[in-house]
Amino acid sequence: MNRPFSFASLASSGAGLLAIALVAGANPTARADENLFGFIRGAETLPKGHFDFYQTITLRTSKDVGVYRGWDSDTEVEYGFTDKLQGSFSVANRYIYSRGGSDLDDTNHLTFGGVDGSLKYRLLSPFKDGIGLAVRLETGWLLHDEVGGLLEHEIYVAPDIILQKNFLDDTLITELNFGGEWAWGKDPAEQYYKEWSMQGGVGISYRFAPNWFIGVEGHARSEWPLFNFNQFEHVTVYAGPALHYGTERWWATLSYNYQVWGHGVDETSRSSTFAEETKHVVRLKVGFNF
Amino acid sequence: MSDWKTLIAPAALVLSTSAPCFATVYFTADQAQKAIFPGASCTPWAGKLTDVQKKAIEKASDLRIRKDPQIWRVSGGGWFIVDEVVGKHEFITFAVGLTASGAVKQIEIMEYKESYGGEVRDAKWRAQFTGKTAKDPLRLDQDIQNISGATLSSRHVAEGVRRACALYDIALK
Repeated sequence: MNRPFSFASLASSGAGLLAIALVAGANPTARADENLFGFIRGAETLPKGHFDFYQTITLRTSKDVGVYRGWDSDTEVEYGFTDKLQGSFSVANRYIYSRGGSDLDDTNHLTFGGVDGSLKYRLLSPFKDGIGLAVRLETGWLLHDEVGGLLEHEIYVAPDIILQKNFLDDTLITELNFGGEWAWGKDPAEQYYKEWSMQGGVGISYRFAPNWFIGVEGHARSEWPLFNFNQFEHVTVYAGPALHYGTERWWATLSYNYQVWGHGVDETSRSSTFAEETKHVVRLKVGFNF
Repeated sequence: MSDWKTLIAPAALVLSTSAPCFATVYFTADQAQKAIFPGASCTPWAGKLTDVQKKAIEKASDLRIRKDPQIWRVSGGGWFIVDEVVGKHEFITFAVGLTASGAVKQIEIMEYKESYGGEVRDAKWRAQFTGKTAKDPLRLDQDIQNISGATLSSRHVAEGVRRACALYDIALK
């Protein structure tokens, strides 16, 4: 899978984007159910006996120097075990292109990212209980990291709390996520073999026409290697718009996020950090309901 | 076939075959009238809701009026109302038949275009509305049972029926 190839020839191929989607990068946090945002989740769950198929493509690009493009792919199947409990399984892949980066060797390759699974349980319904509340637990095994596509043997566990509040006959939707992640086996891709991170975010989206939602989201993530709060590594905040189209049997969400603030390792004079992060993140999700 | 093409072929096949079309219009207004008031004739209501009436209906039903409902007077007494409520992606169009005294005779879901929640079309669930009036709560988990897995649709349809009953009480009685 790590054979070099020409990006130009792949991009010129009619199937280039789909190839990137399915054979390229990975995202360690897979998404569940119909998503109004690129990064923030809602508290709804799939009805019992239904399943969904998702394809997520994420482009992370632009660091402080050089040329960097990290394409992440997440191909996911999700199933409603009950009306309140759903599970998912996904396969992650990545395509990394880097030239002249300060911390990265030049590279241009496809790698298998890993696999992950999640369970999400809805405690309160946003449609009936005034506020939606769900808890989610994700775990996964990653063979290559998402920065350089370098070898690792990461195992992670990521619990999450999800809140959702709807307004205006469920046409204005707000969502809040907060969670953590314990990861082991991040070496040799990273300096430290284990890491603790906290992540959270908010989003607000409005149905401006039948089938169409427009919104904004913001999310932050901070990391502490060796599970040590005295060993702070970096924190980043991303924000940007999200456009969602949903219909009876499929939906799509396009999201753009910009690193509005970064602090920590390799911080630039403009308060951004690029060791593991990028300036721009574009995400496209497509889901099919069955 | 090169390696990467063999990898994407199965997924491309799934993508190309997984966007089926479904019939979503179950009743026209004429068909719904015949289903709820068989043998009766319906005449479009000549009146028009005033702004004051609309505000009163919204207050009584706790639901905004996004679009004026279509209203017919039924021969022999009664009213036939076609209205819509917000679905997850589109609008759910439904019909309510009211007796001459303003009690729900029957409801029908005319158009439903959502991914899930089509259980609101089930006759047993719709039968809960029979006999309800503007004096009833018409709220989930009070006098209307929720459909698990179809909460948004069942709540919004219940709200729509509540608004139709309020409309009768304020403008048609």
